[in-house]
Amino acid sequence: MLTGINRLGDLEWEVPIGYVPDMRVPGRFFLSRALAETLEEGAVRQLANVATLPGIVKNSLAMPDIHWGYGFPIGGVAAFDMTEGVISPGGVGFDINCGVRLITTPLTEADLAGKKRELIERLFAAVPTGVGAKSTMRVSNKDLTGVMVDGARWAVERGLGTEVDLARCEGEGAMPGADPEAVSAKARQRGVPQLGTLGAGNHFLEVQVAREIVDPEAAKAFGVTEGQVCFMVHCGSRGLGHQVATDHLRALEGALAKYGIRLPDRQLACAPIASPEGRAYYGGMVCAANYAWANRQVIMHETRKVFANLFGIDYDEMRLIYDVAHNVAKFERHDVDGASMEVCVHRKGATRAFGPGAPGIPREYAAVGQPVIIPGSMGTSSFLLRGTATAMQKTWGSTCHGSGRVLSRTKAKKEVRGKELREHLAGEGILVRAHSDSALAEEAPEAYKPSREVVRVVHEAGLSNIVARLEPLGVIKG
Amino acid sequence: MSFEELEHTADVLMRVRGATINEIFADAGRAMFHVMYGPCEERGIERRLSLEADNLESLLIDYLSELLFITEVENTVFCTFDIDVRGNRLSAVLRGEPFDHARHSGGTIVKGVSYFGLEIVKEEEGYVVEIIFDI
Repeated sequence: MLTGINRLGDLEWEVPIGYVPDMRVPGRFFLSRALAETLEEGAVRQLANVATLPGIVKNSLAMPDIHWGYGFPIGGVAAFDMTEGVISPGGVGFDINCGVRLITTPLTEADLAGKKRELIERLFAAVPTGVGAKSTMRVSNKDLTGVMVDGARWAVERGLGTEVDLARCEGEGAMPGADPEAVSAKARQRGVPQLGTLGAGNHFLEVQVAREIVDPEAAKAFGVTEGQVCFMVHCGSRGLGHQVATDHLRALEGALAKYGIRLPDRQLACAPIASPEGRAYYGGMVCAANYAWANRQVIMHETRKVFANLFGIDYDEMRLIYDVAHNVAKFERHDVDGASMEVCVHRKGATRAFGPGAPGIPREYAAVGQPVIIPGSMGTSSFLLRGTATAMQKTWGSTCHGSGRVLSRTKAKKEVRGKELREHLAGEGILVRAHSDSALAEEAPEAYKPSREVVRVVHEAGLSNIVARLEPLGVIKG
Repeated sequence: MSFEELEHTADVLMRVRGATINEIFADAGRAMFHVMYGPCEERGIERRLSLEADNLESLLIDYLSELLFITEVENTVFCTFDIDVRGNRLSAVLRGEPFDHARHSGGTIVKGVSYFGLEIVKEEEGYVVEIIFDI
């Protein structure tokens, strides 16, 4: 067990001021005893480093999927005062608006019998994946500006989805404040050929079945029933987002002296929110975030077409439940000591989990809270949860984003052979399709914390409540 | 002249050693392409690159980030890196081959190169640096 941290309750821990020099506020994280055994000291130090940033409000936070990253820990959440505070690409990550969307179908598992292999092969053909994947769409530079400003709406206006889809995305599938001028020519060059591609690593397109309904009232509101076939899209802003992060990280790193900011880690490079550098990063980050919403919209559209053709169902019968971002910084109003205050909330590997009645969530979900989608690792369950009032009070309306790795890719590759893993999962009825078996080994279920345990912690800590558990039936791996 | 992958749960942590700064830069490039694509053979692609930065660490990050950009937009995989670093200026000749789905799909995309803990350290017999690649 780590020393120098305090246990505040069953699932809550505090990193006191002084854990690293110059902390302005304490750190706080949520973890069970079982998960604490794999907690890395480096992750706690990163959580404490965030607490040294100017203008941080209340606490530097981490969700139970906390692990060692760069800049912020993965699972890190922090809010900054709009005048005194800073914005940092290290609190968002290179994959801006990496996120997840979940869609229901009118099919049951039995409807897939005899057709599952064909479904997976058709999806693999329809959605470009992996290293070097290129889009089949023709996107001009002018189109790209539209994508960066309008997000998912850009795709819907071109027939790649319906108006109803937009209402069921966080922020209606686009953030305000896009500044295309803050996106370099290089980022544009990377973005043009990649719209509608999945990417690599832990990104996936998965066919799932809603195996267990835990909260029938919320499940009804979200439109999901036991035994229903669903699909989930997990990906981000591709090369465009990576380049925006790289460019602005460099610019902010160069401006640290100008603003007299001293940092324990250069990856936390930041600037005052209202400074020219801070505004430029925000405007560029919004463009990348909007690109990611359009990207997931296009992938959903292609997937719907495959389902419609293969099973003879209507396009409109495949209902988007919600789309959430888990790597982003947003300007939000929160209650701070009884007063409403605008803050810049960074979520790096953390999901917004606004509770019932919170502004900015779809009206149809207002009574139960926003849907929260937690993707499992390959071969393990994913979860649908709902946001809570507790999250609004304790974590700026935030919860976990996934399971969090426990095994390095080198160890995973040593312990798991991709081909054997693929065959083992097929034996359990889960078909996996990827360009290479070796990439599969890195993403083996053993490499991740058990998603059940991470989700149990956020449920018991009240940061979000489990609505349904989804099991994988087939996976397209990036 | 070598690189080795160290244990890191979330990302890829590479330790690169070299007798000279030029070797450090060459092997950092080799390490990154190893993560992304696996094996590579020289097949006629040649690319030149010049960069300048405020210090060596920033130069290393700029150079690796530029390689990420080039490989993605030009669809090339590099295997050899002839590097000439003078002060904080770099000129490089990169050699490799066109990206081939069949042979280059064994790796993963590197999203970015982190500043976290990046420091080029002088040792008795050369230099060492540890680099985190976000994957």
